[in-house]
Amino acid sequence: MSIHTIGVIIKDWLIGLLAGWGVPVELSRLLIEVLTWAVGAALCIIAIMLAALVFIYLERKVSGYIQSRLGPTRCGPVGILQSFVDVIKLLLKEDIVPAEADRVLHTIGPILFLAVSALAYVVVPWDEGGTVAGKVDAGVGVLFMAAVGSMGLIGIVVGGWGSNNKWSLLGAIRGAAQMVSYEIPMLLALMCVVLQAETLSLAGIVEDQKGSIIAWNFLRPWMWLPVVLFLISGVAEINRTPFDIPEAESELVSGFHTEYTGMKFALFFLAEYGNLLLVALIFSVLFLGGWLSPFGYPDPLRLPGIIWLLAKSLLIVLIVMWVRWTLPRLRVDQLMGLAWKLMIPAGFVALGVMCAVIMLGWA
Amino acid sequence: MNEANVGTTDQLIVNMGPQHPSTHGVLRVALTLDGERVVSADPDIGYLHSSMEKIAERLDYRQYISYTDRFDYLGAMCNEWVFVRAVERLAGIEVTPRCEHIRLLMAELNRLASHLLYFGAMGIDTGATTVFLYCFRERELILDLFEWVSGQRLLYNFLRVGGLRNDLPDGWVEQCHAAMDALASRVDEYDTLLSENRIFIARTRGIGAITAEEALAYGFSGPCLRGCGVPYDLRRVDGYSLYPELDFEVCVEEGGDCLSRHMVRSRELRESIKIVRQVLARLPEGEVNVPVPRRLKVEPGEVYERIESPRGELGCYLVSDGSDKPWRMHWRAPSFYNLAPLDRLCRGHWMADMVAVIASTDIVLGDVDR
Amino acid sequence: MTTNTRQPQSAWALLADIVGGAASVIKGHVVTLRNWLRPKVTGQYPYRDPAKEWVPKPGYRGDFALIHDPERPGGLRCIACMACANVCPDKCIHIIGQGKGKERHPAAFDIDIGLCMYCWLCVEVCPVRAITLTPEYHNVAFTPQELIRDINDLKARGEGIAEPLLPVPIERSVLQPPTAKKKDVSEA
Repeated sequence: MSIHTIGVIIKDWLIGLLAGWGVPVELSRLLIEVLTWAVGAALCIIAIMLAALVFIYLERKVSGYIQSRLGPTRCGPVGILQSFVDVIKLLLKEDIVPAEADRVLHTIGPILFLAVSALAYVVVPWDEGGTVAGKVDAGVGVLFMAAVGSMGLIGIVVGGWGSNNKWSLLGAIRGAAQMVSYEIPMLLALMCVVLQAETLSLAGIVEDQKGSIIAWNFLRPWMWLPVVLFLISGVAEINRTPFDIPEAESELVSGFHTEYTGMKFALFFLAEYGNLLLVALIFSVLFLGGWLSPFGYPDPLRLPGIIWLLAKSLLIVLIVMWVRWTLPRLRVDQLMGLAWKLMIPAGFVALGVMCAVIMLGWA
Repeated sequence: MNEANVGTTDQLIVNMGPQHPSTHGVLRVALTLDGERVVSADPDIGYLHSSMEKIAERLDYRQYISYTDRFDYLGAMCNEWVFVRAVERLAGIEVTPRCEHIRLLMAELNRLASHLLYFGAMGIDTGATTVFLYCFRERELILDLFEWVSGQRLLYNFLRVGGLRNDLPDGWVEQCHAAMDALASRVDEYDTLLSENRIFIARTRGIGAITAEEALAYGFSGPCLRGCGVPYDLRRVDGYSLYPELDFEVCVEEGGDCLSRHMVRSRELRESIKIVRQVLARLPEGEVNVPVPRRLKVEPGEVYERIESPRGELGCYLVSDGSDKPWRMHWRAPSFYNLAPLDRLCRGHWMADMVAVIASTDIVLGDVDR
Repeated sequence: MTTNTRQPQSAWALLADIVGGAASVIKGHVVTLRNWLRPKVTGQYPYRDPAKEWVPKPGYRGDFALIHDPERPGGLRCIACMACANVCPDKCIHIIGQGKGKERHPAAFDIDIGLCMYCWLCVEVCPVRAITLTPEYHNVAFTPQELIRDINDLKARGEGIAEPLLPVPIERSVLQPPTAKKKDVSEA
């Protein structure tokens, strides 16, 4: 019995229950539809939160091991409960809003940031023929993802402005400039994959790579430039070192979330790691064959596709963490220079190469 | 700064410090920004002022040694050394050769520890957190040596007028050799992570540049001055203690920017390892202490003694009226002079460069404020 | 003033720049990977493995102790000569003496280690080597009052300590060796 059939059974039972109370069938159908979506959304956000918690723990362990430390060791076996305990601590902390801050903006900043981060998960294909939103993908997953992904900076700007702190404001402005700039090379890299797969659907892009590891996009030579571009601009999109200038600790204290404490800070923090997972997932879908097994299609090991997808994402996440704990931070003008002077031209070159490849019929 | 630009945009005044992650303590800088460009940077010091010079006037020479540790807390052995040298010169005390060797050894080890901390701080201020941890890992080896011989890890109170607290324990020299070997094998890693990294070079080259003439006019000394191409190292210029007999190179870099100052320290790490190994090899046997009266009274007079501390020329000016306490005591603190041209160094650069400039001057606020 | 003095770059120079930059970045990653595989240096301080716990070398300036002498009144070597109380830069040692001449011993001996700066001068000036600092470093407390060591506390901490602790034999330090004991007492 699949999850889907369980869902149908529960729906039928609820409709029957409501009909017994005299509710019209049409209305109860609508109610249940809304309820299903609400529960699904809540589950989705909880799943993202849990993943973010795991990644926070992982980041602390990875940074510890790179730096000859042990990372968290005290909470639970090998410190595995550390981030859960941290979140409980943050939940219990007093929520401080600076006296001169714009209370409304200060509050909705982190909510927006998290909501946008969660929204983009909708189109990620988890397994064959399935995204979180079922069949909603409708062939424009890439477009949706790109559109929603660029909304994340609204949360940063709103939070940074609403804090009424000069450091936060500087961080927010830096964040806005950075995220807008890095959208472009990211989309150019995306376009190459779209041209390759001839579809805007993320699920379709995975379908296009069907086969063992040699059929995946990252092994095609004309995809190497987009791979690098996407990885770099992906790291820049999620504000991690060497591109963490919106929150550059040594310069801006904490950047846009300087004035946040308690749960609002936790929202920013969790959403950041949620974004990290999102970028890793999208990267896996675009270049590493998504839910496909590296040993061929259908999977000889018969593992669910989501396992492969998460394993690939984990690899990307580890690489991104490794980068973070190795490199110094770029300065704000160098960061913009990198985007506009190097990555965007390189993106067009990659796009041109891709077009040439298609015209020559090698794709 | 474009003059036309100033008229049309508002300037932003931000208060950097005294609670800010990268002001190395309690420095406050009133920053005027135009966008993210620094229009002016006005350092405000004194948050760590502790009357070090006035305290000296009520303590006798022996008691004051433990206070010398506490202003430039990263070069405590050097501070002690310059103070006891000043007192010994006033009192006409000659120390034994073994004592002189051990003092020099301690000063060089302290220079290593201080430069390692500088490396870490520079890394963390430019965003490379990992270098900081690596440097602290190796600094720990040196602090372990200090802890063993002097009983504490930061505020040693190890030197005495006329000698040392105690001789080197058995096995210390071997451990010191081992620590130097471990350190020498790791220094290249810091260079790979920082000095050779293209991002770091982009962050520091041409930033906070100052010419040799200006640097001399501002009273720069130490690695900051040598980064401007002036081969001024008191270990060679004055040739105090045993330095004339030792083989080491005065590290000089042209450029006068953050990168040059960084590279000077990076090379000095290797030179100091060389010095430590030489001193360990020629360490003579014998007594470390010469008899000194319990209540030391020195002849009336004045003396200015200076040595090359990790941060530059550390001077100790001492006036005695013949009693057992200094009549007046003054420190020439290198950090104070190296911080002075902050506005000149930062003006027109980005705000993020400001952090690199402060880190590259390697100030210790205890030393600035005294 | 910063001046943007960047000259137009040739395509090859740009390419060399990119390759060089990428190489320097990758070299950095090799270093961090190498350190990833090295043994970790974290000392897990409280309550993990007592065998691995950091034990300072003798001569570490931690807590205080008074050295015992069963033949003297009070059971301590201290003669309440006030040398340590006088030399202390922080004036954190408070002694009340009792008895005359050879019978003189401390009735009260308080050290406020919250005030102390651990300079070791009290050990250095003591004519009878009656006080020492021990490697005991767990000297934390919830209130300042708990940081005041009284005579019983100091005596208990001196259990089993024969001479002031140093990493070297006493002859090789500034302390007066035991043979000079008699002269020092008369001097004091």
